Amino acid sequence: MDRRTFLKAGAGVATIGASGTIAAPALSQGAAARTLRFVPQANLANFDPIWGTQYVVRNAACLVWDTLYGFDSNLTPQRQMVESEEVTDGGKTWTFRLREGLRFHDGEPVRAQDVAASLNRWAVRDGMGQMIRAIQEEPVSAVDDRTFRWRLKQPYPKMLVALGKNNTPMAFIMPERLARTDPFQQVSEFIGSGPMRLARNEWVPGARAVFTRFEQYVPRNEPPSWLAGGKRMNVDRIEWIIMPDPATASAALMNGEIDWWESPLTDLVPALRRNRNVQVDIQDPLGNIGSFRFNHLHAPFNDVRARRAVAMALSQEDYMRAVVGDDRSLWQTLPSFFTPGTPLYTEAGGEILKGPRNLDAARRLLAESGYNGQPITVLVAQDQAPLKAMGEVTNALLTSLGMRVDFVATDWGTVGQRRASKAPPGQGGWHIFHTWHAGADCTNPAAYLALRTHGDGAWFGWPSDEAVEAARLKWFDAPNLEAEKAAVAEMNAAAMRHVTYIPTGFYKVFQAWRRNVTGVVGAPIPFFWNVSKS
Amino acid sequence: MASASVLNPADVSPGSVKVAEPTRDIMPPVKVRKGLWGFMWRNPTIAVGGTILLLMVIMAVFAPLFWTVDPTALAPARRTREPSLEHWFGTDMLGRDVYSRVVYGARVSLIVGFAVALFSSIIGLTIGLVSGFVRWADGIIMRIMDGLMSIPSILLAIALMALTRGSVGNVILAITVAEVPRVSRLVRGVVLSLREQPYVDAAVAAGTRTPVIIWRHILPNTIAPMTVQATYVCASAMIVESILSFIGAGTPPIIPSWGNIMAEGRALWQVKPYIVFFPAVFLSITVLAVNMLGDGLRDALDPRMAKRI
Amino acid sequence: MFAYVVRRILATIPVMAVVALFVFSLLYIAPGDPAAVIAGDQATPEDVERIRASLGLDRPYLVRFGAWVWDIMRGDLGVSIFTNLPVSTMIQQRIEPTLSLMVVTLLLAVSVAVPLGVLAAWKVGTWVDNAVMSFAVLAFSVPVFVVGYLLAYIFALELDWLPVQGYTAFSQGFWPWLENLILPAIALGSVYIALIARITRATMLEVLQQDYIRTARAKGAGQRSILFLHALKNAAVPIVTVIGIGIALLIGGAVVTESVFAIPGLGRLTVDAILRRDYPVIQGVVLLFSFVYVLVNLAIDLLYTLFDPRIRY
Repeated sequence: MDRRTFLKAGAGVATIGASGTIAAPALSQGAAARTLRFVPQANLANFDPIWGTQYVVRNAACLVWDTLYGFDSNLTPQRQMVESEEVTDGGKTWTFRLREGLRFHDGEPVRAQDVAASLNRWAVRDGMGQMIRAIQEEPVSAVDDRTFRWRLKQPYPKMLVALGKNNTPMAFIMPERLARTDPFQQVSEFIGSGPMRLARNEWVPGARAVFTRFEQYVPRNEPPSWLAGGKRMNVDRIEWIIMPDPATASAALMNGEIDWWESPLTDLVPALRRNRNVQVDIQDPLGNIGSFRFNHLHAPFNDVRARRAVAMALSQEDYMRAVVGDDRSLWQTLPSFFTPGTPLYTEAGGEILKGPRNLDAARRLLAESGYNGQPITVLVAQDQAPLKAMGEVTNALLTSLGMRVDFVATDWGTVGQRRASKAPPGQGGWHIFHTWHAGADCTNPAAYLALRTHGDGAWFGWPSDEAVEAARLKWFDAPNLEAEKAAVAEMNAAAMRHVTYIPTGFYKVFQAWRRNVTGVVGAPIPFFWNVSKS
Repeated sequence: MASASVLNPADVSPGSVKVAEPTRDIMPPVKVRKGLWGFMWRNPTIAVGGTILLLMVIMAVFAPLFWTVDPTALAPARRTREPSLEHWFGTDMLGRDVYSRVVYGARVSLIVGFAVALFSSIIGLTIGLVSGFVRWADGIIMRIMDGLMSIPSILLAIALMALTRGSVGNVILAITVAEVPRVSRLVRGVVLSLREQPYVDAAVAAGTRTPVIIWRHILPNTIAPMTVQATYVCASAMIVESILSFIGAGTPPIIPSWGNIMAEGRALWQVKPYIVFFPAVFLSITVLAVNMLGDGLRDALDPRMAKRI
Repeated sequence: MFAYVVRRILATIPVMAVVALFVFSLLYIAPGDPAAVIAGDQATPEDVERIRASLGLDRPYLVRFGAWVWDIMRGDLGVSIFTNLPVSTMIQQRIEPTLSLMVVTLLLAVSVAVPLGVLAAWKVGTWVDNAVMSFAVLAFSVPVFVVGYLLAYIFALELDWLPVQGYTAFSQGFWPWLENLILPAIALGSVYIALIARITRATMLEVLQQDYIRTARAKGAGQRSILFLHALKNAAVPIVTVIGIGIALLIGGAVVTESVFAIPGLGRLTVDAILRRDYPVIQGVVLLFSFVYVLVNLAIDLLYTLFDPRIRY
């Protein structure tokens, strides 16, 4: 009997004495083993994966909603809800057939009409969906209850990637009545056909979300691999517990109050490793790419020389040590915009980020660009540890280049608003902010919004460069891997010349779980299927 | 009973709650020391509190002379080092020297504490005087003050910080707004009680103009309770500053303040406790010194107590 | 007296009106855009604009204030921009942990602080008095999160006596509920204990000077009966007053304590909402806290007039 049990016993006696009743017993051993307590990276504040595109919403949505196709661990789309597909009319007509036995959580069967409505809503919000919409002959529609068809004006070879990708927003399938919701409004119910259902009455945004097993889910027969294969649930109940303070989460994991922590702070990992009940491993082998984002509309960074000057002086090692720490196995410098270790990875044109940093040359180039000492507005989100660290390093970097820094310390919400402003930096606009892109989003140009350079329509910063866009289109038209590689190398070199943004390095983060939990895999999304607890 | 938002015992409204110390049983010492030294001797809490505070002020003003390095210099290659001869208090997550940051950090805490005490005293004095003398304004002003005071002061400060970007000035402003109602109430209470005094009545009857009455009769009597109040406001402001920074709504992180150092180190308190420990100790000692000063001043300046001795 | 009671109740209306106007105006002019947060990292500026319009965030000041007050009158605190849930529902979900924490802290603080204060007054000038007063000054000087982390480190991590974090509903049993609240209550209560102990001591010292205490002493009443029967009863009014006023301390401290101990209560809700610019939630919670605070102090004031005939206003 340890001290805590002793205290409990004592208090139990006191309770009986006081109220004449016995305190309710804790969950029995069996029930505890069927409940998985998980601490996600962030709060689940809203839950419409088409309307809100934060990573945490997508991750939870993967439990509740199913997809037609799913990326496996090789990033290849595999059939999931779909039984078979057929491409006819020279690649312009796609006909799909759903597999049998699919049901929504309200007991209704999944029909092709539900799929059609869901895809039409998704295509309004998704980058690849928008491309398909732009070339569609007519919106996707149901042929019969299990068959649906999408007719295009020209072939779209990446169709299955679009439907099976894990980048937000994913093409989740909802019942037709929900999918008819305006894409810019949230759905009012959370009914899907995935392996778990959301326990709506136990969902306390900012505190926890509870998912319970959906008994009627029919998994595929293949072994699970990321979003592909059989999504078999070995637990009955998954509790997402929100813990904003890493110190608290770490203590809770070591004490066995939680089972799995999605993103422990790297500095806490050595302490977690010393605990023999805790297992630590890399969360996502595809990692993250840190981003130093310029506003291309205003001086001095509307001049490519000013952007290059910063790139020449920027030490990715400083950024990576500040964000991740001393453990070299977790990070690497990245003379590329693409995810290292993936088939299309290239370092073409990345010399500007390599080798010893040349501060003098950078200062000269900056002077050439006409920088006149105006303050540089840097937006820094203090509530996101990696972004806060990057902001501090940037502050030191710009100061060393002789720039005046206007350090706007604020929260991620305000950065989100202010970065959308095209106004001059002194009047509510900005020069620089930081973010990160999941490595999974940067494996190819398909969903790589941050590397678009079509000016006003581009992502925040509004970079404009024809060479990058031209290379991007070449990739979409590429008939084979060799052509894809060539296109991506060209795109990388063009973006490096243009300094669309500066990658601050490639880094991986950990995940940690109790040793009595098995089946956790390293992936961009925490996959709960095949995970069991003893 | 006025509802007040409280961080300190002294501002539990003066009328009904505050109670004088008892008469001492023993006779005062025969040998009465004179001057500052004697004052200190008779008021050891003021002596101790004042000395510590003075040391902190010296440390803050002459921070570069205290064997510090640039507190903002990053060295990611030397991050989270344990305390050593080279880094007395270790280094933080960005490799900055915690000792230097703590020494320089005294500046922010002291500036915030003193500035909030000063501004809330000035504004509170003005509002309190207007409220005490201008009958028609009194009702409106006090309703507004009551309203502000019924928002718990930390919540009020957090909400105000959500309005603006983090800067030392905005932190001072937010905490001042939260403290002003208490000071106004105090001043107004003093004014109202003094107006009942015969000599003030006489002055009014003699046709003395209001500014003269304020200058001659009101201000001298307000200074003592306001000074005591100001020290408590100062202590409370330092704590609130650290709480705001702790939540991420305070001083910008590039400025080393004790609150910021703790906020940055708090995630690592299990593995690198020293990052939180040193600023926490400095903050606690400084606030303690200010509180001791306040208690000592209260005992020394409280007119009712002075009358009894 | 009835007139006083009515007047006192009516007096809370302008106070609440000021709070409402202040809270609304404050957040109306706040920077930060929920639409941008909702849209996510990959959204285009057009997406953000459309979401803003669909949330009604582009309407003028008076229209939004008028609509807001009208809704509050009908008990509708609005809908959270982020969760799409009614604010009243969110508050209901979060109220139990915060209420529990406050009640436990209150009970703990009063049951520790009042005897401490009485003891200090009784032993005035001795080391006991000095120790109590030193503790009080110290408790005022250490930030609540430092106390919280220290307690969690010692009693949860090192000694493993109590859980580190979290909250268990009261319906799960008394001990699981209390177990999670002990450390936060001590952390949150330390300042409150200091406050009450100081006032108790000061008030007791004054009361002990009074004639009736001397009379009681002269009659040969025991020390304990003098302290607790005669003196404490007469010292009750200021002590209860400060307990009421100190509720503000608890509310402010709860915001931080709930973050340290990961308690899913209203304090955490407030911090999250402010970071996310979830206007309806911030407005609802601050209004509620202020309302509770005004009500508690109103109730205390009214109780005096009912039970202490000497008090006239």
